[in-house]
Amino acid sequence: MESKYNLKSPAVKRLMKEAAELRDPTEHYHAQPLEDNLFEWHFSVRGPPDSDFDGGVYHGRIILPPEYPMKPPSIILLTPNGRFEVGKKICLSISGHHPETWQPSWSIRTALIAIIGFMPTKGEGAIGSLDYTPEERRALAKKSQDFCCETCGCTMRSALLDLTPNSNPGAEDHTAKELAQQINFKAESSLSRESSENEGGESEPSTHTQGPSSASQEAEKDQAEQVEASQSTRAEALQTPTTPTSSDRPLSPRQRRAQQTQRESAASRAVFTPVHQPQDESHTGSAVLIVVLTLALAALIFRRIYLAHEYKFDYDL
Amino acid sequence: MSCGGRKPISTAKMAEEQQESSQGEMEGVNCLAYDEAIIAQQDRIQQEIATSNPLVSDRQDLSVLQSEYAEDDTVYQLKIKDLHKKYSYIRKTRPDGNCFYRAFGFAHLESLLDDSKELQKFKAVAAKSKLDLVNEGFTEFTIEDFHNTFMDLIELCEKQPRLQEVLSSFNDQNVSDYVVVYLRLLTSGYLQREHTFFQHFIEGGRTVKEFCQQEVEPMSKESDHIHIIALAQALDVSILVEYMDRGEGGTVNHHVFPEGGDPRIFLLYRPGHYDILYK
Repeated sequence: MESKYNLKSPAVKRLMKEAAELRDPTEHYHAQPLEDNLFEWHFSVRGPPDSDFDGGVYHGRIILPPEYPMKPPSIILLTPNGRFEVGKKICLSISGHHPETWQPSWSIRTALIAIIGFMPTKGEGAIGSLDYTPEERRALAKKSQDFCCETCGCTMRSALLDLTPNSNPGAEDHTAKELAQQINFKAESSLSRESSENEGGESEPSTHTQGPSSASQEAEKDQAEQVEASQSTRAEALQTPTTPTSSDRPLSPRQRRAQQTQRESAASRAVFTPVHQPQDESHTGSAVLIVVLTLALAALIFRRIYLAHEYKFDYDL
Repeated sequence: MSCGGRKPISTAKMAEEQQESSQGEMEGVNCLAYDEAIIAQQDRIQQEIATSNPLVSDRQDLSVLQSEYAEDDTVYQLKIKDLHKKYSYIRKTRPDGNCFYRAFGFAHLESLLDDSKELQKFKAVAAKSKLDLVNEGFTEFTIEDFHNTFMDLIELCEKQPRLQEVLSSFNDQNVSDYVVVYLRLLTSGYLQREHTFFQHFIEGGRTVKEFCQQEVEPMSKESDHIHIIALAQALDVSILVEYMDRGEGGTVNHHVFPEGGDPRIFLLYRPGHYDILYK
């Protein structure tokens, strides 16, 4: 590999060092560049103990930009895990989606530890995030051991060193948690800046930034086009099902709305529907809702017209 | 709608329908595209700034400042006159958020070119600084490239090169940015070492460490008093900053970091930006 790259390039110099540094798998993580490309790495990380990912080993890709380490790496998971979408760039502020908080003194190791630390945190509708139930995550953790990567040819069973019974995950685990907290905090602060300094206190998923604007725009259109009566029915229709059955899992406003439509359409299915339901279901749900609302609107308009005419007759007579 | 980029649709119902149906599958994709669009735009702006400003410019007559402001902008024109009393030349830096570090780095090395005694003193401080950072918990193999680049530049200065050579090193993006990273690390290291003192000056209920990770170490984060004090003390260099803003008074105010020092380098601060001044 050495001959292929310009050793004067800062990125090559740095990546060579990192490859040497990460050559041997640890109990918790391992990453190496692909044989033919120093700028694409494959990694395996162990799911953190004391979490739904306990016992899982997860595989993924790291894409390094030519400007590395001045620009952050992108991380893509390949093993289904229930926390991060598979095949999609992950939205940690450490990865490519928030380049402004990346620090050049961080490394691929930092990114790996951050992923581990980030797994048990809530997805909260952030890009590339999933909020599967603990049961599903545990099932995926078990299954993850069978994963084999065709590209780099490693199997999850042998990718990492076995956990020894007396090994102390404490130190590594602690750094991971600390890093995850710190990164989480950063994601917030960068978001709050984007949404024009809105206090920045609460942890807000990235979709939230778009939430209010789309909602208000919708409301504007409503006001412009619809009769007041229909508006109140619509508002009622949207408000009644807002008692959340899944109070333990904060969802993005969009996810919440999608859930409401689902629940409304299939009132018989009063059970909590997971967020990752196939999309077509929510489509049929919204279609039904639209039809119902349109009919209600039509009925109200007709009633209006009828009443108006009656008054007119009364007046004339 | 920020995330959609769809054309406005005439009736509310249609808009609603469209929105509902596309919401599911577009949600992820569009937000991703939105995010990437912002990044792309930021890159374009950076590109534009980069093509019109060198990282560190040639030395220019101070009178170039006059033409940057309108003639009837009396506040600035008066202050530029005041500046003329003390300084004759200016060297501009690219306004990319790293200007303080770049201006400091260049101005300091330039001032050491004809003072080999001070240069040796500075070299010793710089050489030792990596160990201090490692002792503080920075990972050696990730910071050593930055440190080596910084030391290479100091060694270049030892050979008494032409100024042009130092200038072209500072205009080589790779070298220049690595120096900026190292100066940021030194600033961060010093702030964290003296965290009990600096904690009082940090806003927003953050710890010094959080502040460093958000406002000091990432590239393009602008510098404030606290950064300047820390770097000046970390490298034992005295810096004078002339502040020129819209404030009343007709004179520029200066501040020496750390207080009571005998500054060898002079920077001009205008809101959001630092350039180098020469007597």
